[in-house]
Amino acid sequence: MLDERILRVATDGGTSVLVGSADAGAVPACCRGIAVSTDRTLARATVYVPVATSRDVIANAATTKKLAVMITRVVEHVGVQLKGTVEAIRMAGAEEGPFVRRRLQEFAEVLDEIGLPRRVFLSVSHWPAFAVEITVEEVFDQTPGPRAGSSIR
Amino acid sequence: MIQMIPLTTIWRCFQGVIPSIIATSDSHGNPNVTYASQVHLIDDGHVALSRQFFNKTSRNLDENPLACAEVHDPVTFQSYRLHLKFLRSEKSGPLFDVMAVRIQAIASVTGMSGVFRLIGADVFEVLRVEKVEGFLTSAPAEPDERMSMTGARSEIRGLQYISEQINRAGDLDSLLDIVLEALGSYFGFEHSMVLLADECTGRLVAMASRGYGTSGVGAEVEPGQGLIGTAASELRVIRLTGIEACLRYGRAVRRESGSATPEIPLPGLPDAQSALVIPLKLCERLIGVLAVEDRDATRFGEWHEAYLEIIGNQIALGIDRMADDGEETAPPRIPIAKPEPADEGRRRTLTYYVNDDCIFIDGEYLIRNVPGRILWKLMREHQRDGRREFTNRELRLDPGLGLPPIKDNLESRLILLRRRLSEKCPDVRIVPVGRGRFALEIDGAVEMVER
Repeated sequence: MLDERILRVATDGGTSVLVGSADAGAVPACCRGIAVSTDRTLARATVYVPVATSRDVIANAATTKKLAVMITRVVEHVGVQLKGTVEAIRMAGAEEGPFVRRRLQEFAEVLDEIGLPRRVFLSVSHWPAFAVEITVEEVFDQTPGPRAGSSIR
Repeated sequence: MIQMIPLTTIWRCFQGVIPSIIATSDSHGNPNVTYASQVHLIDDGHVALSRQFFNKTSRNLDENPLACAEVHDPVTFQSYRLHLKFLRSEKSGPLFDVMAVRIQAIASVTGMSGVFRLIGADVFEVLRVEKVEGFLTSAPAEPDERMSMTGARSEIRGLQYISEQINRAGDLDSLLDIVLEALGSYFGFEHSMVLLADECTGRLVAMASRGYGTSGVGAEVEPGQGLIGTAASELRVIRLTGIEACLRYGRAVRRESGSATPEIPLPGLPDAQSALVIPLKLCERLIGVLAVEDRDATRFGEWHEAYLEIIGNQIALGIDRMADDGEETAPPRIPIAKPEPADEGRRRTLTYYVNDDCIFIDGEYLIRNVPGRILWKLMREHQRDGRREFTNRELRLDPGLGLPPIKDNLESRLILLRRRLSEKCPDVRIVPVGRGRFALEIDGAVEMVER
């Protein structure tokens, strides 16, 4: 049974999304994601990353099929990391555009509240985006503190 | 297209305002991505990351030294990627100390001293730096009014200006004000304060401030507590940028640790976003602390830190010189005068609480410890004998005041007393009348109560 606080971080908007992968030689790469779509089972997730800035991450994910995604509510620093196997990488469809833009807007609002002007984050590249579909195999509590990094599923 | 750029040209990214990202991988290629709480710029070829917990990042680096970090310019939000190779984890030494004191200060403010601490400064070789092209859809923003980066105005002229001001100060009282005024007028530091170390109590006492609604003179700070106390106990400069982000992180650790230790308020501005706290020291002896704050998260750069440390040394020398400078050269003139007729319309009550060693005026805290005892002595002799003038020498010779035999800081204690009276009880004044001599002036009637 996953903690409600963790579930909400993973499923709600207004969160930061970090994405990591490694190539076949275990050389890591990272980029900022824009949105994650998942449900309360956290069994599967679709991670949206901007095409403009995710070249290495996507190339690695396509090769190794491994992806790490950290989702954080930055005001409280409550975070969760999903690790899983890449099932598909595709261009996000037009019908997914409103969801991605809404998530961008929601996070921009949060950042504005804590001092980063809204317009700055809204100028971050977000479209076109890759949609990376993963099967989530591991879930980690990523909140700083004594339990940071502990496996919760 | 990847554009190679020198690391030192993106120094703003290492101010800690916007959290950086780090991705690592174990030896099997399983990735991990997380925030890095501090990325410290060492030189063009090296950075250091703070290690506060033994976590997945640490374990991965032990297996596979390669890492990728993404850092952001806090002014433009432009992103840069650093391709890194882990070299070593330093557990002591100058780099560790610099990174540790920052974390220690945050831990102290958030009530997490000893729990939230630096375990190691992880040193990385920077293999490649690249600007993330296309990260922003429009040209990088002009510096926001909330986030301006002020550079050096003129280093030598600034030093010369402050030195001149310190040298011109006739006494410690004016020196404190002059220093804060000069920092404000020359560097635009609008919120600043000087605290002096009290060797009797071991605490730091606020002696002068600029840019706050209330002066805060007389406020005390325990060594090791908060930003000021940590800078004092460690004798190290603390520069914090993006304070709110730092505190949010510290608060998260506190919450997750189940700690009930209360937070220690920031020095002055409750919404300060950056702070620079400089211990004023002579050799390894703490004289006091100079603290400046700002609501701009990027207000203080490395340049300010190095530069103000030099200015801090000048201030420390000036304070130390003047603190010893209160002996009268002329014979004391101590007239015995009849007490002035009291203005019955303005009666105030001065209460000395013996057990707490503190004085209240009309039920409001005024002062305590040595300055309080000095005030009580002056008032008592004034009421008993009608005395109005006193000398520093006689205070030094009075064992009842508890002044230390050497480095008694009598001047600074008198300044503190004078300023507290000026704020809380302007009807009672201590007015210098010559070198090492001062007069007690009282308007109206003052009732003295000892409890």
